[in-house]
Formats: sequence, structure tokens, C-alpha cells
Amino acid sequence: MPGFVELDVRPILRAGGEPFEKIMQTINTLKPDQGLRLLATFKPVPLFHVLGSKGYTHQEKELGGGDWEVLFTPSGAPASNAATVGADANAKDNAAWPEPVQHLDNRDLDPPEPMVKILATTEAMAPGEVLSAYLCREPLFLFPELAKRGHSWRGGFEADGKTYKVLVRVGKPTGAAA
Amino acid sequence: MPGVTLSRWTMSYFAAALIFLLIAELLMVAGYGYPATAIAAPETLILVHVTAIGWLSLLLCGALYQFVPVLIAHPIHSQTLPLPALAFLIAGLGALIAGFLQLAGFIAPHALCFPVAGFLLSIGFALVLWNLGKTLWAARPLTLPARFVTVGLLSIAATVLIGVIFTLVLGGLTEHGHFINLLQSGVPVHAVAGLVGWLTFIAMGVSYRLLAMFMLAPELDGPTTRSALYLGAAALGVAILGGVPASMAGIGPTIPLLMGFAIGLLALGFYARDILYLYRTRRRRKIELNSRMAAIAVGNLAAAIVLLIALLISDNVDRYIGAVVFLFAFGWLSGLGLAKLYKITAFLTWLECYGPALGKGPTPRVQDLVTEPRAIKWFWLYFATVWCGTIFLIAEIPLGFRITSAIMLIATIAIINELLRARRLLDVKAEIRMPKGASSAHLLYAQVKKA
Repeated sequence: MPGFVELDVRPILRAGGEPFEKIMQTINTLKPDQGLRLLATFKPVPLFHVLGSKGYTHQEKELGGGDWEVLFTPSGAPASNAATVGADANAKDNAAWPEPVQHLDNRDLDPPEPMVKILATTEAMAPGEVLSAYLCREPLFLFPELAKRGHSWRGGFEADGKTYKVLVRVGKPTGAAA
Repeated sequence: MPGVTLSRWTMSYFAAALIFLLIAELLMVAGYGYPATAIAAPETLILVHVTAIGWLSLLLCGALYQFVPVLIAHPIHSQTLPLPALAFLIAGLGALIAGFLQLAGFIAPHALCFPVAGFLLSIGFALVLWNLGKTLWAARPLTLPARFVTVGLLSIAATVLIGVIFTLVLGGLTEHGHFINLLQSGVPVHAVAGLVGWLTFIAMGVSYRLLAMFMLAPELDGPTTRSALYLGAAALGVAILGGVPASMAGIGPTIPLLMGFAIGLLALGFYARDILYLYRTRRRRKIELNSRMAAIAVGNLAAAIVLLIALLISDNVDRYIGAVVFLFAFGWLSGLGLAKLYKITAFLTWLECYGPALGKGPTPRVQDLVTEPRAIKWFWLYFATVWCGTIFLIAEIPLGFRITSAIMLIATIAIINELLRARRLLDVKAEIRMPKGASSAHLLYAQVKKA
């Protein structure tokens, strides 16, 4: 019987923190037959996609008081390469990222201005530096452009389900951007 | 999530679709098909299928290849399959037209045009369904707009299936009584499955997302949107799954179609409420041409429904159904299609040309690719001709309809010219047209660069 590693991110969420990194770290420590028992203060729908692409099925249960328990079970299927995290979702990339040096709030900009602003800001940043941006939707057309420029990213919806927060870590210039 | 790249063959679909729109309008100008001939005449069927398959279905397929991945945040299953699918669909439409020309007596009746058309169109739509179906399947659980698309895909499967049975009967390959009954009374079910289930239901689902995106309005996934989805799906289920057996049994599909219409009205009520809410709660006060013209198109949908109800009450459906279908196809579906094409063409071209140069220096904005004050006059002219054409059809003045169709053709050519100008970057100021790193786009396909 596969065991479950329990992770309660409710204290982090209640303190206004961002548990995504902690969840991904825990996922990376799991053995192939181990699952994750996650406790959160909301139904973490974005995670279903993220962990789904890493080969986990999920089973959610409302606990009352707005809390949710989700069991992520390895499905045995090979993880697809559609990982949400990072352009190059390699193991090294799961190390902690430095604090963002740039913060953008692009929620009120007309599309595609949020994407233009993020790309313009990253051009002026040094490799390894991190930018954080609030958006009103997942920036699907931005990701391929970040990948071409060698940047990594992490993203997900905030607890309100409406604000999308993306972190972009500037990569070393590859020369392949054009 | 690696994000969404450009769909390689979407522009080819758009180009082919626009050519078929011009052909359909030319036929109307020439007085080919309804109202010059009967509504069930082979000439009218050619006009209807050039519009429904050639123009609207190719437009919708091209748009879905690009926007299903956006709706579900998952890449498309195949960037290659759309091209053979397009070839099969166009060849199938050609064979279908040849089949109708046989019925009209223009081609010798012994050739197997109809069965060949059924075969080619089935393959073409099967390739579309396989590609989009695999894409959707990989992204479960689906968002609400994607569920609208799924219902639409099931509807086109039903439309094609019924159509294939028609081609087998018309081609003389079967004399099964149930199939002959279906051909005799099931045509309205085939039309409802195609025009409402496939084209309208998907347009509804996608409009939720596109309007929210372009007007900075909240994404809707509440009880009203769910009601529109489930009631709409139920209406289509009753109309199609009830209408087909009723037609086959020789009873006729009137009762299931009316029941479906009644349930569908509830769904449309919820949809109308949602769309009004999106326009009212938008954070972007000054909206672009595409959102303004989309509102006119939705208004035409409402007008077509009101007209149909009036005809049902006055027992005049058979006499004036052509006017309802015209307003529905050209006021609602084509109006929405042209309005969204105007935005999508500019946006996809902008992303393809300037994506690599963004942030590295001054680049044009999407709006710099278009000249809305010039284009909007043509859109108003287009809609004015749709309304006049509808009135001429109701007033039974075929010559008036041909004259308004000629003006509609001019307006359409002008709108297509605007789309070509956007694709060719002709409205971008010369000094910022080609910043370092930018590249021009091919007219008919997108360069899909690997990251």
C-alpha cells in the first residue's frame, strides 16, 4: 500500500505566504510509490494541473471551514514533459530562488501589455535575478517567449483564484533569443 | 505548462474560409439558390454548404486550433494534422457541391459524388475531432468554456453522421426505409446540429473567454454559466438524440425540435445575462472594434430568435425560415466571426513578427497593426446589408436581396483587405515596422519556432 507524506500548508497560507515552493520540494522528495496528502485553505485547482503533468492523480475532499484535503497519488504513468514549473524543470531548478528584485502589478493592463512589460523588465535585469508579477490570467503566450530567452518561471493562481502570480528568473544570455 | 505557441495552419484555414465566404456572397449576388429557387432546391443546398462548411466551419476549426490550447492551458496534440484535415474538408465540400449539381441536373447522375463527399468530409472532420479531442482529453478536468467546445465537437460528429446517411441515400447506396425517412424529414435536425450545436455553441463558449480577456472583465464560472452550458447541452441532446429516431421512425422531428428550442431559450437567457454582465463589469471602458461588433452580432442572434418565435406563433415558419437562417448565419455567426478575425489576425501576426523583439527596444503595439476608424465603417456597412437583406427576404423581394448582397460583398472585400493589411504590417509606421529581431509573417501559415 503506498504511503502518503502529509504536508499542511494552511499555516503558510494563513500567514499570507506562498506554499508552492514547499509543495514542489516535498513532491521531489517522494519515492516513486509515495503520494502526498495536502491540507490547504482552498481547493488548489492549479496544482491539479501541475502535479497531473508530473504523473499524479488527485482526490479532493472538503474538510469544512473552507479547508480542503487533497490526496495526490502517483498514477504510474510517465510524467509528461508539460511541467508547469520552470523552462527547464530539472532537479537543480528546484533549489530556492532569490527574493524578487522587481515587482510588477499588471492586472489592469490591456493584453498583451502585461507580457510586453515583463519581457522589457527582464531585459534590464542581470542573470539569476528574479522578477515577480501579478496578472489577471495565466500568461500562456509569454511562456514560449521566456523559454526562447533562456529564462525560467514558476507560476500559479493565488488563493483568491483570480490573481495569477508569476516568478521569472532571468537566465544567462543564450544568443538564441532571436 | 510550456505555454501556447502559434498554431501553424490557422491562417490557412482563415484564408480558405474567407474565399468560401466570397463565393457564397457571389452566389447570392448572382441570384443562385434561395430566394430565387426553393429553400430545399439543390442550388440553395450548395449555397448553404459553401457557407456552413466552407466559410463558418473552416473559420471555427482554424480558430479552435489556436484557442482550445488557450482555454485549457495545454498544448495542441498535433500541429501537423490540421493540414491534411483542411485538404479533406475542401475536397469533400467540392464533391458535395458536385453531388448537388447532379441533383440539379448539371452533372450526369451515375457518378458517386455524394458517397465520395460523405467519405472525404468524414475523414476531414474526424481528423479535426481527433486532434482537438486528444488535446481536450489530456487537460481534464475541463474549464467551462472548454466544455462548451466539447459539446460543440459532439454536435459536429452528429451533424456529419446524419449528413453521411443522407449521402448514402442520395448516392443510391442504401434503400433502407429508416434512412430514407431520415432524408425526408431529418434535414432540420442536421441543420440544428450544425448551425446551433457546432457553430453557435462553440461561439458561445469561446466568447465567454475572449470577451473577458479583451475587455478586462471577470472570468465567469458561476451558476448562470453552468446553467447555460447544461441547459444548452440538454436542448441539443433532446433536439438531436430525439429528432433523429423520430425522423427515422417516420414521425418527423417537430416535437423534439420544439422541446429542444424551449430548453435552448432558457440556456440563451442565461448566456445573454452573462454577456451583459461581462460588458457591464468590464474594467476597460473604451472597447475595441472586435468587442463592439461582437455585441452587434449577439444582438442579431437575439433578433433571429425573436423572429423565429414570431413565425412559430403566426404559423409562418415554413414560408420565412430562410430569412431566419440568413440573419442567423450572416448576422450572428459571420458577424461574430469577422469581428473576432479582425482581432485574432492582428494579434497572431503581432506575436509572430514582434515576439522575439519585445522588450529589447521600441516595438509596435497590436493596435498599431490595424486602423479601426477605417475598418469600422465597413463593418457597419456589412451589418446594414445583413439587416436589409433579411427585410427583403421577409418582404419577398429577390432583386432587393441581390442588390444588398452585392453591397455586402463589397463590405466583405474591404474587411478582408483590412485583414491582409494587418498580416502584411502595412498600417504599421515605417520607422517602427522592422525593429531589430522582428521578422515578417507568411500570409498563409505561422513559423512555429521551437524554444
